[in-house]
Amino acid sequence: MDESTGIPLPYGTVFIQELQVGAASDSLGRFQLKGLCKGAYHLQFNHIGCETHSVFIALVSDTTVEIAMHHHSELVDEVVIHDNKSDHTTQMSSSISRDAIKDETSKDLSIMLEQMVGVSSIKTGAGVSKPVIHGLSGNRVTILNNGIAQSGQQWGNDHAPEIDPFVADHISVVKGASALAYTGGSLGGVVLVEPDDIENDPHLHGEVNYIFQTNGLGHTLNARLQNYAKWAAWRVSATAKVFGDRQTPNYYLTNTGKREYNVAVQMEKKIKPRWRMKLYYSFFNTEIGILRGSHIGNLTDLQEAFLREEPFYTSDAFSYSINQPRQMVQHHLLKLESQHILNEHQSLNFKYGGQLNNRQEFDVRRSGRSDSPALSLFQWDHFFESMYRQQFGEFLQMKIGAQFRFTDNTNNPETGILPLLPDYRAYRGAAFAILQRDKNKLLYEIGARYDLSYLQIVGFSTTIPRTIERNYHTFHNYGVSGGVRYKVLPQLKLSLDIGHVLRSPEVNELYSAGLHQGVSGIEEGNRSLSSERSTKVVLSADGALGKKLFVQVLGYYQYISNFIYLQPQPEFRLTIRGAFPLFSYQQTDATLIGTDVLISYEPIPRLRVIAKYAFLRGMDSRHNLPLIYMPANNLFGSLTYSFKDGKQRKNTAFTINGRYVFKQGNLNADQDYLPTPDGYFLLGASLSSSFSWKETSFKCSLNAENMLNTTYRDYLNRQRYFANDLGWNLSVRVNYLF
Amino acid sequence: MLPIILVFTFSSCEKEDPHLHNEEEVITTLTYTLTPQGGGAAVVLSFQDLDGDGGNAPVITAGNLAANTSYSATLQLLNEVASPAEDITVEVLAEAADHQFFYASTSALNASVSYSDEDGDGNPVGVASTVTTGDASSGNLTITLRHEPDKFAAGVADGVITNAGGETDIEVTFSVTIQ
Repeated sequence: MDESTGIPLPYGTVFIQELQVGAASDSLGRFQLKGLCKGAYHLQFNHIGCETHSVFIALVSDTTVEIAMHHHSELVDEVVIHDNKSDHTTQMSSSISRDAIKDETSKDLSIMLEQMVGVSSIKTGAGVSKPVIHGLSGNRVTILNNGIAQSGQQWGNDHAPEIDPFVADHISVVKGASALAYTGGSLGGVVLVEPDDIENDPHLHGEVNYIFQTNGLGHTLNARLQNYAKWAAWRVSATAKVFGDRQTPNYYLTNTGKREYNVAVQMEKKIKPRWRMKLYYSFFNTEIGILRGSHIGNLTDLQEAFLREEPFYTSDAFSYSINQPRQMVQHHLLKLESQHILNEHQSLNFKYGGQLNNRQEFDVRRSGRSDSPALSLFQWDHFFESMYRQQFGEFLQMKIGAQFRFTDNTNNPETGILPLLPDYRAYRGAAFAILQRDKNKLLYEIGARYDLSYLQIVGFSTTIPRTIERNYHTFHNYGVSGGVRYKVLPQLKLSLDIGHVLRSPEVNELYSAGLHQGVSGIEEGNRSLSSERSTKVVLSADGALGKKLFVQVLGYYQYISNFIYLQPQPEFRLTIRGAFPLFSYQQTDATLIGTDVLISYEPIPRLRVIAKYAFLRGMDSRHNLPLIYMPANNLFGSLTYSFKDGKQRKNTAFTINGRYVFKQGNLNADQDYLPTPDGYFLLGASLSSSFSWKETSFKCSLNAENMLNTTYRDYLNRQRYFANDLGWNLSVRVNYLF
Repeated sequence: MLPIILVFTFSSCEKEDPHLHNEEEVITTLTYTLTPQGGGAAVVLSFQDLDGDGGNAPVITAGNLAANTSYSATLQLLNEVASPAEDITVEVLAEAADHQFFYASTSALNASVSYSDEDGDGNPVGVASTVTTGDASSGNLTITLRHEPDKFAAGVADGVITNAGGETDIEVTFSVTIQ
């Protein structure tokens, strides 16, 4: 049955690993396994729209097992392809399965999300990327790490989210407005990085994952171990990544290496039958090299860089070493959760999330100061939530909750440089309520949220002599959303989602001051900004024709008044270092219209064709100008052939895929230093297979990217001013599951 | 509700003042002092920008040079935000091989600048230079400091910035009149 609604799921499959036999469930979600001997069995349950769920049972006599499958019922545009020969779920347009995550752990979270239609990345080279959902990113996208909103320097385009995707069992993107239970102000959407609950299996299980890739000579090693012991269920994950200089088709990108060392611990305990506690701790630790030629001085340097074939400081030789400029970030997260089941209809949930983010950015400096960071920010964040859930009858569910968040951001004075972002404290309180009714063909959901924020900012004046200035801001924000899902026919589902949400300006939009390498210019905050107001309408249709054809079309329209953005100023700022482009935070009105299309077709058995198309047009409707940093339209296609399973060899598949990114034609010449790059095509292929014996399985795959070694630059990659994007890459992946 | 109450209770704690150690990196002032080799009063060109990236315009002092004269010139870099003012020229000379000043005059200006100092590799630094003026004319003189240039690239040691690369730490333009 579906975990969140309790409704039976028809036509799922169950597979017994020890015996290598399976069965399908009927239309009422029931299955029967007959003639089994007494013993210990590991069962695997599969269903369209759900993750593979593993369960352990010690069979002594006839037993009835009820399985609750985690089904993303709140996601608007989910599509799952079910191949009647293989029992794995393939790419979901808004959710990435565990298998897909493991295949891609050499990549950063944002790059992994790009496989979803309508999701792109803003990059600062290959080492730093942030998700863009339907054209919006940064302060407008919230990433939830195991239910806790990631707190760090989200404002910077050159600040990647400090999350290791390997800890997740699924990663989802919520594109509509129904994310009000998580956080306010996410006008773009919410990314959910979620580890599952630990499976009820008293044996030690785990996996080891290793990926080697040629571009950057990168090594990625992940390991996970878990056990449902008597004293508590526990799980430990660890990741180590070592990358050297990346490569374009023609030259090395000198100083683009990366190191990452992460660990996560998860524990669960059923203290009483109706009281469960969970603990989660994760530590993320990275050092990222930034292309030296991209940290420039003034406008003259910038213009010289545009004319260069290769960036200055390019070396002929590959190296693993990371020098200035570079970033070093550590992020700690501690989460405690207490779940109380009051009775059959009511439950109460308490959550605490504490985070510590330490970000240091090093630049090339005179007199041995290169070892002193040019930016050093320390941020504490404490989050509390209490949520009450009540079920009314069979179909109606209500959730109400209250949240409190405290953030303290402090600059480390050792930099000796006037900080770009001032010290501040933020206090935010919120309350939300969500009502959902799911009956027969119709699902309704309405939600409302209120946020109260209080900011205390302590910074230096930009004028000489430097004095300390204290500023205070209070913001009231609210959000309302409503959604309807209607199953017109069993094979046709229509959804409509409308949200009206406010977002108050963040501290960087109000107070940032100084040279920001992320924009290659000087940026200045604007303390008179007011809250943005966004209205977004999402309409989607999911249709299936038998089991061979699945089509999903999603269209959206979003209007944001008081849209805050960095406006390039006509005059340059003259300093002793020369002239610098100047950017100032201003407000305007923005209109975004787009569509995401996903088609999956099985023309002949075992052969699957997938096509995806994303279109977006973003306009500054007040000035009748295009919006900057809107992702270009793109097209993706893939052809996968799945081979017949053998006795031990399973899930053997060969895929060939292509991605075409169009030139971003919707931008005026005077809105950017350079014209937008031409459109480009990337060809890829992969071959993978798994082998299983009893309870262990071994999966290996070979994956090629940019096989044609295309020379290209991407509009959303700031490095395009200085260098080409990555050349070809071959990855070898090995995964061992026990 | 509890969260709202918490907002108001916590808000009574004030965040402490930030500290700012000496803004060491900053060069606020460049002075270019030209002394006629035959004797006479020195001409001082200066560029001062005390608030760095801030909005106040820099103060530029232009100058007049005598026609057909040779000048011995020196550059001085200061951090005048610090009290007393710090001499940054010393830091630049300490890392001489990593720094080079380039002098470029617009074609209308009859002036040429040549280097009179060297770093450990025999390449010029440009803190000390010789300025030779021609007939009366006026135009612009731009002084650029590059950090970590490629001094061995073609033309760089002769004062041509084209192949130098590196990062610009200083770029100031003076309008100069030769009388």
